[in-house]
Amino acid sequence: MRTIAMAWRNIFRQKRRTLIALSALIVGLAGLVAFQGYIARMMSSFRDGTILGGLGHVQVAGGERYWEDGEYDPYAYLLKDANSVIDELRKQPGVLAAFPSTGFTAIAGFGEKSVTLLVKAYPSERMYFSAPAVPGSPPEQAPSDLFRLGLLLAGRAPGPEERDCLVLGETAARILGAKPGDIVTLMGMLPEGALNGRDFTVSGIYRDSGRDKIFAFTDYATAMDFSRIAQPPVVHAILSDPGRADAVMASLPKDLARRGWRDLASYYIQVNTMFAGFLQVIRAIILIVTLFILGNTMNRIVFERMREWGTLRAMGTPRRGLLVLVLLEGSFLGLAGSALGIALGFAASSVVNLFGGLPFRQGAGFPIYMITLAPDARAVWFNMLPAVATAALASLFPARRAVGMTPAECLRQI
Amino acid sequence: MPLISVRKVEKHYQLGKTQAPALLGIDLEVDAGERLCLMGPSGSGKSTLLNIIGCIDSSSAGSVVIDGQDTAELDDASLSRFRNKTMGFVFQSFNLIPVLSVFENVEYPLLLQDLPSKERKNRVLALLERVGLAEYWRRNPENLSGGQRQRVAIARALVTRPRLVIADEPTAALDHTTGATIMDLMVEMNESFESTLIFSSHDPAVARYARRIVRLADGRIDSDGAAA
Repeated sequence: MRTIAMAWRNIFRQKRRTLIALSALIVGLAGLVAFQGYIARMMSSFRDGTILGGLGHVQVAGGERYWEDGEYDPYAYLLKDANSVIDELRKQPGVLAAFPSTGFTAIAGFGEKSVTLLVKAYPSERMYFSAPAVPGSPPEQAPSDLFRLGLLLAGRAPGPEERDCLVLGETAARILGAKPGDIVTLMGMLPEGALNGRDFTVSGIYRDSGRDKIFAFTDYATAMDFSRIAQPPVVHAILSDPGRADAVMASLPKDLARRGWRDLASYYIQVNTMFAGFLQVIRAIILIVTLFILGNTMNRIVFERMREWGTLRAMGTPRRGLLVLVLLEGSFLGLAGSALGIALGFAASSVVNLFGGLPFRQGAGFPIYMITLAPDARAVWFNMLPAVATAALASLFPARRAVGMTPAECLRQI
Repeated sequence: MPLISVRKVEKHYQLGKTQAPALLGIDLEVDAGERLCLMGPSGSGKSTLLNIIGCIDSSSAGSVVIDGQDTAELDDASLSRFRNKTMGFVFQSFNLIPVLSVFENVEYPLLLQDLPSKERKNRVLALLERVGLAEYWRRNPENLSGGQRQRVAIARALVTRPRLVIADEPTAALDHTTGATIMDLMVEMNESFESTLIFSSHDPAVARYARRIVRLADGRIDSDGAAA
């Protein structure tokens, strides 16, 4: 206990030097915690945007291969009884909504122009298009049980009773030269291979980076009628908590093909993994800088206190006791530095959040919205334990130097 | 049997490629309860001999037997335990641990022994009372005068009731009056604790506190006799 008390008190002997030695760790970890908070909230928004952008937290399809080529050939994987799947899903706790979807590939013609479209169809009450931001007004709160399909630039989404309406992507609409109210003709392939053509009214034009060139949306009933199918290829479930996806999937009958959002949102997973790796690299750089700075400081401390080490050894402290004392002092430095850095990171995040957060824009032409920082409480351990270990490592070589000398050699040092 | 038996002890320091002799064939026996002063000019080998007797340095040749134990036979851990139980040290610069209070400084050697906390406390407070610092037990050593610090160091050296107390120039950092007070205290402690006291000094006024004076010159014993 006395060794612990001595090591702890030792770090306050030269407060200014201790603070300077720890500055890299404190500032680095504070920045890392705040940045982690920013990334966490951004990735959380990105995850929700991906899941609610048309995937759902859980999908149940008519076959495992649906997720490989169902986008282009959905008729090959139709469910046997979609309603029973929907009923089964709705029984599970945490399921906010369960509904079918279908889709078909079509050539859209308007006047002299044509484009190829992937038409996605959801029940109209499950489709949500955000309105353009009004400068000065608070950001729109999107419902959490609807698919958010993009920013509505013109027109509107199909109403509950409206049929044969189409929401075109901005790029496709520009190529066709179509605007809300125009009639475009869709020529799509039926399950048997025959072609079906029908006129659709452009009800709206949406923008969504990466999708508005090829994806168009219509209501589920229209798409089922157009495709002449009785069952959809897939059913989606939206959950209140993404963490429940595995439990919901496990509760479904074994013969149903199912996928959770972690398997479906591969782009999100890639980006999240990339950011996690990026944060690890930043943490490693901070720890390496800390290793060198604290190593240098501990070296000086050990050298300056040689007479003290000699005295302790003369009184009977074994080499191991001295080694423990120096390692503890280094570890306490790491503990104090990381605790201060993490506390500063949380405090800085709170201050940023007081001002509404940091601005974020999904892409050019999209509204800017503010992201609040959400530092993870687990960051305390993720950052503190490596920092303490690094500080202990930084103390190891100076400590070995101290115990490598005889007490008399230590006492001779001035 | 003498408490300390030093036989043909030599010590050479390695200075680059050359060896500097510090002690050359020292033979010395010290009985229990003796009060011995090592005298000699700077560089005569006083501190080196004290360090070797105190087991905080090793000799280049020869043997040192203390209380029947050949110190060369002990490994580092055993030697540390041996020092803790058998010896107490008083240093010229006091060498108190600045992050420990007066009480904690004196208590430190006892923490290395398996003594109950109550006994440790009793022993420390009794010794602080003996050296006249009972009321300062909570203080930090930095808030004490040089003389008071050396009293704390004496209490620390005696708290384990060692058979041997080694003091290297214990008054060198003190003024004459304070030095005399410290030496009076050390003599009193030597007599009441029946410990053996070996101290070094080049000051004849300090040496007169010894019963026996060993004079060193150029690493050899020049004279060994009773103090005048």
